[in-house]
Amino acid sequence: MQVEYPKHKWTDKFLLLDMFEGLKTTFRELWKPKVTIRYPEERMEPSDRFRGMFRFSFDRCIACKLCAIACPIDIIYIDVHDETLEQPDGKKKKVKVLDRYDIDVKRCMFCSLCEEACPTKPKSIWLTTKTYELATYDRGDLYFNMQQLEYWDERPEYPGLPDEDAPPLAPGLVAANRQLSGGAK
Amino acid sequence: MNPWMLYLVWPLIKFLIAFVIVQVIVAAMNWIERRVLGLIQARLGPNRVGPWGLLQIVADPIKFLLKEDIVPSSAEKIAYFLGPMLPLVPAFIVFCLIPFGPPPTFAVTHTNVGLLLILALTSTGVYGIILGGWASNNKYSLMGGLRSAAQMVSYEVPFGLSIVGVLMLCGSLDLVHIINYQAHHVWNVFPQLIAAFIFFVSMNAENNRTPFDLPEAESELVAGYHTEYSAMKFAFFMLAEYSAMLVNCCLMVSLFLGGWTLAIGGYGLTTATLKSMGFMGGLLGTVIFVVKVMTFMMIYIWFRATFPRFRFDQLMDLGWKWMIPLALINIFVTGIVVLAAPEMIINGSVVPVGETILAVAGAATVALTLFLIMKPRAHAPKVIHASRVSEA
Amino acid sequence: MFDVHEMEVNFGPQHPSTHGVLRVILKIDGERIIEAKPIIGYLHRGTEKLFEHMSYPQCIPHTDRMDYVASATNNLGFVETVEKLMGITGQIPKRAQLMRVVLSELQRMSSHLLWLATHAIDIGAMTPFFYCFREREQILDLFEEYCGARLTLNCMRIGGMPDDVTPQWIDDVERFNEKFDAAIDEYESLLTNNRIWKRRTVGIGVISPEEAIDWGITGPPLRGSGVEWDLRKAMPYECYPELEFDVPIGKNGDTYDRYLVRMEEMRQSRRIIHQALPMLRATTPGDIKAKISRVIRPPEGEVYHSIESPKGELGYYIVSDGKSQMAYRCHVRPPSFVNLQALPAMAKGHLVSDLVALIGTIDIVLGEVDR
Repeated sequence: MQVEYPKHKWTDKFLLLDMFEGLKTTFRELWKPKVTIRYPEERMEPSDRFRGMFRFSFDRCIACKLCAIACPIDIIYIDVHDETLEQPDGKKKKVKVLDRYDIDVKRCMFCSLCEEACPTKPKSIWLTTKTYELATYDRGDLYFNMQQLEYWDERPEYPGLPDEDAPPLAPGLVAANRQLSGGAK
Repeated sequence: MNPWMLYLVWPLIKFLIAFVIVQVIVAAMNWIERRVLGLIQARLGPNRVGPWGLLQIVADPIKFLLKEDIVPSSAEKIAYFLGPMLPLVPAFIVFCLIPFGPPPTFAVTHTNVGLLLILALTSTGVYGIILGGWASNNKYSLMGGLRSAAQMVSYEVPFGLSIVGVLMLCGSLDLVHIINYQAHHVWNVFPQLIAAFIFFVSMNAENNRTPFDLPEAESELVAGYHTEYSAMKFAFFMLAEYSAMLVNCCLMVSLFLGGWTLAIGGYGLTTATLKSMGFMGGLLGTVIFVVKVMTFMMIYIWFRATFPRFRFDQLMDLGWKWMIPLALINIFVTGIVVLAAPEMIINGSVVPVGETILAVAGAATVALTLFLIMKPRAHAPKVIHASRVSEA
Repeated sequence: MFDVHEMEVNFGPQHPSTHGVLRVILKIDGERIIEAKPIIGYLHRGTEKLFEHMSYPQCIPHTDRMDYVASATNNLGFVETVEKLMGITGQIPKRAQLMRVVLSELQRMSSHLLWLATHAIDIGAMTPFFYCFREREQILDLFEEYCGARLTLNCMRIGGMPDDVTPQWIDDVERFNEKFDAAIDEYESLLTNNRIWKRRTVGIGVISPEEAIDWGITGPPLRGSGVEWDLRKAMPYECYPELEFDVPIGKNGDTYDRYLVRMEEMRQSRRIIHQALPMLRATTPGDIKAKISRVIRPPEGEVYHSIESPKGELGYYIVSDGKSQMAYRCHVRPPSFVNLQALPAMAKGHLVSDLVALIGTIDIVLGEVDR
């Protein structure tokens, strides 16, 4: 299919109408709602499948190491040792005990192949925590061990963020901006 | 009055007031431009510092003052320091020649060759840009400086020629006289539509504004002549640029849009009417003037948001092959019409027929353009686009 | 060495309009380019070598990072090549195929939007940049809704797709699709008729059809020269044969024609999605994976397979030794890399300002050029 070339009448050329066409568009856009999200006062809600920060469940994990095998960049470190437990009925049972489950999150590319590889139901490692504010001031803070992966809610809040309960930093500012932006969102 | 007071002290005070106001406008322009540009581009622009981001006006200078001032080790030091200063000085001096309101109160000085002086002063601004571009010892800066020089030289010519038509109609180089003339006839933009267009294009080019922002074309020359400048030196360049923009807008308003008056054929707010209202009338005139100037500043921003950039040779092409011949034709036609159809007395009043013909023609063109813009484009709803056939 | 008039300018690798880390050494006379020498490799990460050391499914996230503005098509090319190697191309369920088509067409739109945004801002029109990103953001939202990532999607698997789409997602895509045509009209109102835009693009970087074929150029630059060659039509894959669309071609082979071709391609992508969505609704939910073993160990052999990525022919060449889970050798034929080779020829005799337009018009992504 041959693309169509625009055709011009003499008035277009003489009166610069082609230029005014663009000016019209920009003028129209001036009054339209804006798309800016004023982080951190407003935050985007990630979708349900959003691949964010890890969460790990020690109870569910069966220490099969499949996630570590699936990881393309080998950042999941798992140490396991076998232990023989004596069951109440006297039988001896071999179980795998997880000693170490570390993820070097700073190298992670959030491909979620580990989550896919996990055989337990529900998954014992998952990324759909809707958390994306992972920035830290120290590289070392992004190396998470088993406990941190399970209970990272207690980790210090990113200092730039306002308190969740506190009112927005400047209510007037937000309201004014919202008005300017044509009441979007 | 004491001549010392009349010729030195009062003008100095008035200049200082004008200077402060202009500087505030220039600083505010930075915020206005970013904000409007943002709103046009589906975003918000600076909105963090203070209400509506207004304190950005203060925050920017503070940032410029506190930033590290880097001087490239290979730069030609004296020229490098002179670079940002040179364009600033003429840009400031010019403001004492512009009548912001009815004289004598609202004009710093009243010179009968004001226009000529303004043209002479503004065209010296380019030296700083060339010097800065060369002294930075950076190839991109050099190219930016050279582009600016060539652009300035090329567009000085149509810039000057476009004014000639106005001078022929008004018969004076005195801006006050030109403004008063327009109040008693019609805004020069109508009889001198072509000249106004050329003037507008040239002033865009002189100020390095889109679509003629080649000297600082960031996608080609990184930042053009001010690539190596930082902190306050960069701010000086910017101040000079915005001041020059303001000067040119003032000129545009004075020459083509009736300055501080709001009158046609002597009816409306003429200088005499404003003067009869005393000081408040003068203030009203100034407000009208500033509103008109700011409208043009907004058009600058609007253009910047809309248009792509010309290429260097195309810019020269436009200047030499279109703008200059067009300006000459304008002078020629204006001369012929004004000479062939001089003033006539109809019903006891003097009517300049030639000027009226030109004004009607100009107004008709404006009306036609507006009509065609408002109308949806003829070829827009053509046949169903191939990609939409499946849905039709 | 140099003529007295000549000057050497280092254009990049840190320059606003080299789209990454391309470095072009320019020999210029005034502003006219005498010689342009692109120097690449600043973003080389050894992706092909990496592929030899990881199992096939693990390679997929790495393909995201080659053409990082069009990762869905990168994924598609890789998984299709492996499927071809395993001989399971025919077993891919219809629903998975349609999902792949929809995703890769959305990706084509988003890649072209990014191209338009940067191309326009290179030529000086800054506003289309923001309008394009506004729409692109909506496409990324759709990706996020489908697979959880916005840029590096990792959204395809060998033998099918990782997740099923929800009816909600299909509705969202449809809603976006309905509005998209108006958005393209808006960009076109700013550029297509504008005389400055035309002066900056018409007659710039002309490639004749013969030259284009000789250089091995593919994708929109080739079609802009008037060669009707689109792998979706020429060597159909997935369910493209069932979908109706046109291949836009230009006439003059200049920057303006390439611009028109890409704009039309976005409309055609829209058209494809418009047809694919009802078909997707008609398939059974959940039927998204062929029945293959979890461990992917293709038989011994080699295969080359290419798809039409937004930038041109994206080919993968994989050699398998039949024993390991890793490729013995994997080679990628990136369209940007091949298209970039025409830059010196195109730039010769043009001005520095045109070089910027030319880098924009061949639409390179340095992640893909350097791999």
